[in-house]
Amino acid sequence: MAVNELFAQLHEAAASPKQQKEKYLAQGRKVVAVAPVYTPQEIIHSMGLVPMGVWGADMEINEAKKYYPAFICSIMQTILELGIRGEYEGVSAIVIPSLCDSLKTLGQNWKYAVKGIPFIPMTYPQNRKPDYGIKFTKAGYQRVISDLSVATGAQFSEFALAESIKIYNEHNKVMREFAEIAAEAEITAAQRSDVFKSAWFMLPEDHTRIVKQLNEELKAGPKAEGKVRVLVSGILADSPSLLKIFDENGIKVVFDDVAHESRQYRTDVPDMNNPLDALAQKFADMDNCTLLYDRDKKRIDYIIQQAKQHDAKGVVVLMTKFCDPEEFDYVPIKRACEAAGLLNLNIEVDRQMVNYEQAGTMIQALKEMC
Amino acid sequence: MVTLGIDIGSTTSKAVMLKDGNEILASSIVIATVGTDGVSRAIDNVLKDSRIAQEEIGCMVATGYGRQTYQGSDFQVSELTCHALGVHHICPEVRTVIDIGGQDAKVLSLNEQGRMVNFVMNDKCAAGTGRFLDVMATILKLDISQLEVEAAKSQKPANISSTCTVFAESEVISQLASGVEIPDLVAGICQSVATRVASLARRVGLKEQVCMSGGVARNAGVRMAMARELGVTIVFDPMAQLMGALGAALYGFEKSGQQGK
Repeated sequence: MAVNELFAQLHEAAASPKQQKEKYLAQGRKVVAVAPVYTPQEIIHSMGLVPMGVWGADMEINEAKKYYPAFICSIMQTILELGIRGEYEGVSAIVIPSLCDSLKTLGQNWKYAVKGIPFIPMTYPQNRKPDYGIKFTKAGYQRVISDLSVATGAQFSEFALAESIKIYNEHNKVMREFAEIAAEAEITAAQRSDVFKSAWFMLPEDHTRIVKQLNEELKAGPKAEGKVRVLVSGILADSPSLLKIFDENGIKVVFDDVAHESRQYRTDVPDMNNPLDALAQKFADMDNCTLLYDRDKKRIDYIIQQAKQHDAKGVVVLMTKFCDPEEFDYVPIKRACEAAGLLNLNIEVDRQMVNYEQAGTMIQALKEMC
Repeated sequence: MVTLGIDIGSTTSKAVMLKDGNEILASSIVIATVGTDGVSRAIDNVLKDSRIAQEEIGCMVATGYGRQTYQGSDFQVSELTCHALGVHHICPEVRTVIDIGGQDAKVLSLNEQGRMVNFVMNDKCAAGTGRFLDVMATILKLDISQLEVEAAKSQKPANISSTCTVFAESEVISQLASGVEIPDLVAGICQSVATRVASLARRVGLKEQVCMSGGVARNAGVRMAMARELGVTIVFDPMAQLMGALGAALYGFEKSGQQGK
């Protein structure tokens, strides 16, 4: 299949999650919503359910304001807004992790605001690496399994989980390959985003199949030349208006440290006897993310290392408004970029952004500095 | 060779006609912006004053808020790059440029060649911009040009919030009601802008000499407050508000040379 057709398929899925949900429901599948940032999708998949990402939408917030002050993450507010408006109708449950203070409130508000869709908490430990942390994570997963069984009637088996883990590990590998191939291929920032975004709305085995083909086509296709190469960091980077500014200014995303994108695919589930233990170990092995506690902030070195490895001229931080963890990390990122001779931009973004003039000026100025 | 730089800002349109990348033939500032005849009036003014015909212009460069929507320029360049070029041309020793415009504030770091090596912009907020001063002048029933005169009379500057234009507006009204003198309020307002923008300047890393450009730079009250806040002398040139347009004209000259025009 030609590159354009593959991109068109992925764009369609990325742009119309509701249609994807309806398609799965029409097939008799049960859909479970998964909220940012990390949820045990392998478990949901292994129980025969379809995990679908919910990261909010670019929209005006009205109903969710009854539950939230204005100064809180708009990703989370729009998830609740969509829930209240009935956009997730037909979904059997929503799994919301406890990875930041705002997400904790999403779960609590969800219970009152969206009565038709059961809230399943996934409570992660702050200290995820020690044995007691891994046991805590495993207990959280067992709670998710139990709640999913109640909400959907689906059954859990270790054998099925082991099979799903293989599927997810394969997907991780293919997505990591895509990120590397995309660094050199002649593709737009919008197309790159479609590949990552569509993954949230498709079964991993289906997505893997398409991205594998895409990778082959891109490897053989033309390479990008004359672009300003940047690494993008942040929680979310899917705004079409913003991506258009990247493309109009010849800015090439050569790697990302975006929670919605590559952070999802860095770590595989290790090969262990018990698949649930292995899944808990995966969470312990994960690193380099604002939301995963690390007193040494190794993430900063990781960003610089990746920027250099991918020959990036600079680092563009897309700062989700009111995201305290990301804001705390920006200061050392900026300092590290300056020390490494990398340009850096901090562009504030949120789900209610309608004017991109300031972002456009900053991105154009970055290009002009190169 | 003649080049024309136009800076379409959020409140004013500026134009500079430049000969051979050096001689300023004419300049114009019109208080009107995108969606009005402000740009064409500014261009007409410089054409008339320089006695240059439109056809003689070798290159036209647009910058500022309205650069993308303006039809007819050869290049659209960000105002950050243009202010850096303009300031370096007039004041080559400057290493930090504080540009406060009608709707935003920017701090630019320049190297010895005048090349911008770093910058920061304000948050999406009117505090610390020309808009803040406009709102305050309206409350005090003053013309914007009177602010520096009033600030100079102040004996005891009032303390005005530097975080939000809307809150600061209520603060000014409350302080007026409690009998605070207008000069003290104006001095407090200028200090508020300086405090806000100085934090941006510290973020980018302050290197002397420090110059203010943009329309707000014309206000001596803000300049003095900025100097106090940062503990440095602020370089000021009467061309401050035209630095963006000048930089655009310089960019046009540079680009035309590269293209062998």
